[in-house]
Amino acid sequence: MSTLKHKGKGPQAMTANELVSGLNVWMTTDYGWSRDYADALLTEDDDQISIMDETAKAEEFANTVVGAYFIDTVDGKPARYRERFRTHGPSYDTAALINQERV
Amino acid sequence: MYRYDEFDAEFVNSRVAQFRGQVERRLDGRLSEAEFRPLRLMNGLYLQLHAYMLRVAVPYGTLRTDQLRMLAHLADKYDKGYGHVTTRQNMQFNWPALSDVPDMLSDLATVDMHAIQTSGNCIRNVTCDPYAGATADEIEDPRPLAELIRQWSMLHPEFSFLPRKFKFAVTASPHDRAMIKGHDIGIQIVKNDAGEVGYHIIVGGGLGRTPVLGETLCAFLPKADLLPYLTATMRVYNRFGRRDNKYKARIKILVRDTGIADFTKLVDDEFATLDVNDTAVSQEECERIASYFEPPTFDTNIKAIDLDSQPEAFRKWVATNVAPHIAPGYAIVNISLKNPERAPGDITAEQMRAVADLADRESFGEVRTTHQQNMVLPHVRQDALRAVWDGLVAAELEDANINLIGDIICCPGMDFCALATARSIPVAQAIAERFSDHDRQQAIGEMQIKISGCINACGHHHVGHIGILGLEKSGVEFYQVTLGGDATHTAAIGDKMGAGFSQDELVDGIERIVDFYMGERSGSERFLDTYRRLGTAAFKEALYAST
Repeated sequence: MSTLKHKGKGPQAMTANELVSGLNVWMTTDYGWSRDYADALLTEDDDQISIMDETAKAEEFANTVVGAYFIDTVDGKPARYRERFRTHGPSYDTAALINQERV
Repeated sequence: MYRYDEFDAEFVNSRVAQFRGQVERRLDGRLSEAEFRPLRLMNGLYLQLHAYMLRVAVPYGTLRTDQLRMLAHLADKYDKGYGHVTTRQNMQFNWPALSDVPDMLSDLATVDMHAIQTSGNCIRNVTCDPYAGATADEIEDPRPLAELIRQWSMLHPEFSFLPRKFKFAVTASPHDRAMIKGHDIGIQIVKNDAGEVGYHIIVGGGLGRTPVLGETLCAFLPKADLLPYLTATMRVYNRFGRRDNKYKARIKILVRDTGIADFTKLVDDEFATLDVNDTAVSQEECERIASYFEPPTFDTNIKAIDLDSQPEAFRKWVATNVAPHIAPGYAIVNISLKNPERAPGDITAEQMRAVADLADRESFGEVRTTHQQNMVLPHVRQDALRAVWDGLVAAELEDANINLIGDIICCPGMDFCALATARSIPVAQAIAERFSDHDRQQAIGEMQIKISGCINACGHHHVGHIGILGLEKSGVEFYQVTLGGDATHTAAIGDKMGAGFSQDELVDGIERIVDFYMGERSGSERFLDTYRRLGTAAFKEALYAST
């Protein structure tokens, strides 16, 4: 179940976390999921938004993702700072220093 | 150190099996997220900003070397090769997959470790003086007390669903290294006029959005009354603590609203209803627990080290990172996890193994974590200090900055935390870089900078000599400054300055107040002393001098 309802303020994107990895994902133009925000579907179309909402609920029910919610976007980017930050990951991670990326 | 008995081991193993089943049911859909969330939180598993995060309990910050090696194993096998020491002496892993967590917990159980009660509205990990059992200024080793509270509070049927989380800190020293006034309950082991050992109980401290220093609930509690008295205190909190508003649910709010005198009476009245013999622990059991913390057999024939013949870098490290030990010829070694290029508190798996090897060779197999996000080798022969330093140099853990301006406490901030409003790690790195010159750090002297990425204050900014709070407005991070906080036995909440700074402005502003202090200090005054003498206005003027 989506935890943050679509508020209808401009273009929307749908985000969630993968259930198994916990990593951030965004709904794509074919209503799948991508870990890359560049692939995200951004739309103001009510029909598409309705499909996104139903798809996200179904994906949560199918245990693909967890905590799906809509986010507002402006000029192709998430409107809120927190959501922008989620799109590019930590600005610092010790893993980068030790070259041991695993996930 | 304490080792699980068969009851502890059976319980932890059964809990692992239980959580494995819960994860299986979550993955195949028999449990919804709403059903699963409280179960994973009870096992220390959060869903953070970018991924899951597993918080592993390090009771009272004491680790055996097999435990530290196990943490290294988890970092390598299930995470990204490093862990993060928290301000509650625990260790967090930032990138575990849900499907791996049961195996992580199973591996932890093989060395008497778990992640239970590292989240949720229960009694959390008991924190403790990292110098426990090694420092001359303590009345007795506080770890048996911390272990007793751990056993009492673990899955306590009355206190597993409190109004809000609950944190204990314990020390036996008048020099508070456990921040006991900043905890829901702080306990100081003391002696009364008759020379009897008992407990000074402090209640209602806490940081977060409403910083409060704890007040004395009982100036001297006989040892035998401890658990009944704590039970009475928890019952009063459980009964009268607010459950309608999570931001007003901590015991500090109850104590503040009730008043310490009336709160004390409530506790005393509840205590009077208890049969002490129902809850108190026998002398034999106390002695059994204490026997696990018997000091090692110290060599009494250790030659003094000739520092003059040693390299300058080693001598600087000794001056900064090594503390006096209770046993002649020994020393306490602080290992700084504050390399300016890394996040405060982060330690790689390789470094964990290096520390474990050093502890096995030179510190009777003991390691401590500290609430200041460092590590400690508690019992090192002075004639082995050079060998320890060489080992730390090889592991890139030789930073000589303990209690200096580079020794910054810092929460994960928005780089990892779902609650954060701004980043804190890059701020810590920028400050550490600005003051990276060791001689300058030494000249500045004792300085505690503490940074939180939101008002929940996991970075303890309220009690930093310089406290920094990261916030965000209209998509821009900014940082508010407090000055004059103190986490020790002279505890104080810092004074809020004015408008916030951008990160670049902040570092400049901190440099201005440090320079101002250097120019104004008298004799051997610390920053905190000069601040207290000159007052807020003078430092505020320096902070905002060029804005």
